Amino acid sequence: MAKVFIYPATSLMLSDLVARYGHKPLGSALSVREHIQAGGFDSPPLQITPEDPKKGLHWAAVEVPSGVRGRMSLYGPLVEEADAAIIIEESDFAFGCMGCARTNELLIFLLKQKGVPVLELSYPKTKEEGVTFVASIRTFLAELGGEKA
Amino acid sequence: MKEYNPEYVGTETKYIFVDSPTTTPQDLAIAAYEVAMGVMIKETCFGVQVTGTPDEVRRIVERLRKIDPFHIFIKDRGFPPGDERRCRANLGGSRPGYLGHEYEIGLSRFISHGLKETDTMKPEDLKKTAQPFKREPPLDIEELASIIEEEA
Amino acid sequence: MSRPVRIAQLTCGADYSGVQNEIAEAAKAVDAEVFYPDISLNDLRRDFDSFGLNVKSPDLKLVIARAKALVTGKVEADAVFIGSCFRCAEAAIVRTELRRYIHMNSTLPVVSYSFTERTTSGTLLTRMEALTTIARRRALLAREKQTGITMGVDSGSSTTKCVIMKENEIIGTGWEPTIEVLKSSDLVVEAALAEAGLTMNDIEAIGTTGYGRFLIGKHLNADLVQEELTVNSKGAVYLADNQHGPATVIDIGGMDNKAISVMDGIPGTFTMGGICAGASGRFLEMTAKRLGIDITELGPLAMKGMGEEVPMNSYCIVFGTQSLVNALAAGSTPEDVAAAACHSVAEQVFEQQLQEIDIREPVIMVGGTSLIQGLVRAMGELLQTKIIVPHHSQYIGATGAALLASGFVDRKKE
Repeated sequence: MAKVFIYPATSLMLSDLVARYGHKPLGSALSVREHIQAGGFDSPPLQITPEDPKKGLHWAAVEVPSGVRGRMSLYGPLVEEADAAIIIEESDFAFGCMGCARTNELLIFLLKQKGVPVLELSYPKTKEEGVTFVASIRTFLAELGGEKA
Repeated sequence: MKEYNPEYVGTETKYIFVDSPTTTPQDLAIAAYEVAMGVMIKETCFGVQVTGTPDEVRRIVERLRKIDPFHIFIKDRGFPPGDERRCRANLGGSRPGYLGHEYEIGLSRFISHGLKETDTMKPEDLKKTAQPFKREPPLDIEELASIIEEEA
Repeated sequence: MSRPVRIAQLTCGADYSGVQNEIAEAAKAVDAEVFYPDISLNDLRRDFDSFGLNVKSPDLKLVIARAKALVTGKVEADAVFIGSCFRCAEAAIVRTELRRYIHMNSTLPVVSYSFTERTTSGTLLTRMEALTTIARRRALLAREKQTGITMGVDSGSSTTKCVIMKENEIIGTGWEPTIEVLKSSDLVVEAALAEAGLTMNDIEAIGTTGYGRFLIGKHLNADLVQEELTVNSKGAVYLADNQHGPATVIDIGGMDNKAISVMDGIPGTFTMGGICAGASGRFLEMTAKRLGIDITELGPLAMKGMGEEVPMNSYCIVFGTQSLVNALAAGSTPEDVAAAACHSVAEQVFEQQLQEIDIREPVIMVGGTSLIQGLVRAMGELLQTKIIVPHHSQYIGATGAALLASGFVDRKKE
């Protein structure tokens, strides 16, 4: 079972397909859950405190806006954990955790720079593309090993 | 700053979406209650949310997926169900993630079709069907120059 | 108490900067609540496209579509808070354009702010309070004439001021540096009463404003305790006799600066800055001290000088003062140094704050610093307009408070 970073990290479809074919999707929900379930100072809604943008300095310099650094504190550890990544670049309608284009650019860069297998796709817009989409993901995941077809 | 004492520590929550001509969110909820054995199930407009230990959630999710495998989609959720930090009733409007799901659910029929069509495919057929993501390369500068010359 | 004021939140990055709770808490402190205008994905696509500002960040698209829902009335709100991460260029463009769009197309009061992870609810409080005042007290703010005998006290960070008004005339004033908030307040009240020839028993209503407004409000049992953004706007257009139509009010204070775009005496958009003392009245006080003159002499001195002659390449109060010292050592005249200090403050306010609001003529400068002619001249040069400094401009907050407090005189009589 490989840990596969999904981009958009909030994607229902990618999360589903990765898990369906026997791997572990790494997405925002995991980091958000970690924050929600950890004690500390109360900072609703996400329990991201001003300390998190500071942790984000590990991935982005101090002159980078706080929202980018705060988001990187969610994603950075997942990127480091990832064995592979599936990227749908045209994620124009992924909000919240994926709501900042600058963070998203940095995230894709870090994933590619890491040198792990990366599958890049577009969202399917027709039934035919749906078949290609699923087949591409299944093939990619199978090559990572451990597919339970 | 106030201290924060988290609830549901050690649990997982998963969203189970259904977008199907034959299975309704209510069908899914009924099936979930049948196998719940005390695990928290919450009905929503799109399906259910299941909250419990990772093992409990896995057991229920695997059962539910079998009901309509090509039309059920599952993902992790960071918050427990009904959390007031995320609840529409407290925010005046939907949390941002809702619109993202709305977008992807709009594409689910294509993916459902893909799941069905590829279900029985052998690995070599899958490989043939898979197409790597391709973008048209930008026009070569010399080619552009020759077009300009031709047009001139 | 009436229902909470509903402030529509249009932000990008607040959750991830760890400041969402600070925004919510600041609103709660003034009996308001923030909420997200609810829209569907289809609304979002349509409204984002039709707005025409093609930004890439999905959350900014959402912000644009939500702003349209507010302006078209699809979603109802009493006020709008626009916020985004400090240093984000993409969001700064959206913030500016939306602020303008909402201001021009609705009567919703708007405040915009760029936050960092260090932003606290305390920083946001006065802004939220102003938003709720405008939303809740439109009727009170519509007052154009002072009636009865009323007192206004403005407890600022540098100075405390008191004004007593009777039938639309200022009949007594008091002015003291703020040392101990209550003591300074007592002194100015005493001075103003003496000048007016009245006693506390003659006063029919009291209004307080400024940093110490809550403390002295309680001390004086005031009828009206209100932040300085709305009070100063009101005071400015009243004293400048410009109560109708647009105006811009600039108040360079001891601790922070206010720039307010006003329509019919009611603030539409406003900013408050207080990050750097180099852009405050404090810097001018330090300059005067270094030149060995009284602050009241700085303005006339600056009018005789040429600021361009003195190299000033820092906005910081420490390094800025250093530049002035160096200039004096290098032979610059005190006149030129005074002019350079004024120019530096004006330029910093211009660059950092006036960009956040729409400057609409006439521009009215108020507060103690408006008496420093060199500063007014420098600001006029930067804005390319003649600036109005009304009479009693240093008493702007106290006058505004006395004017608005007279709304309570009639109520008491009833």
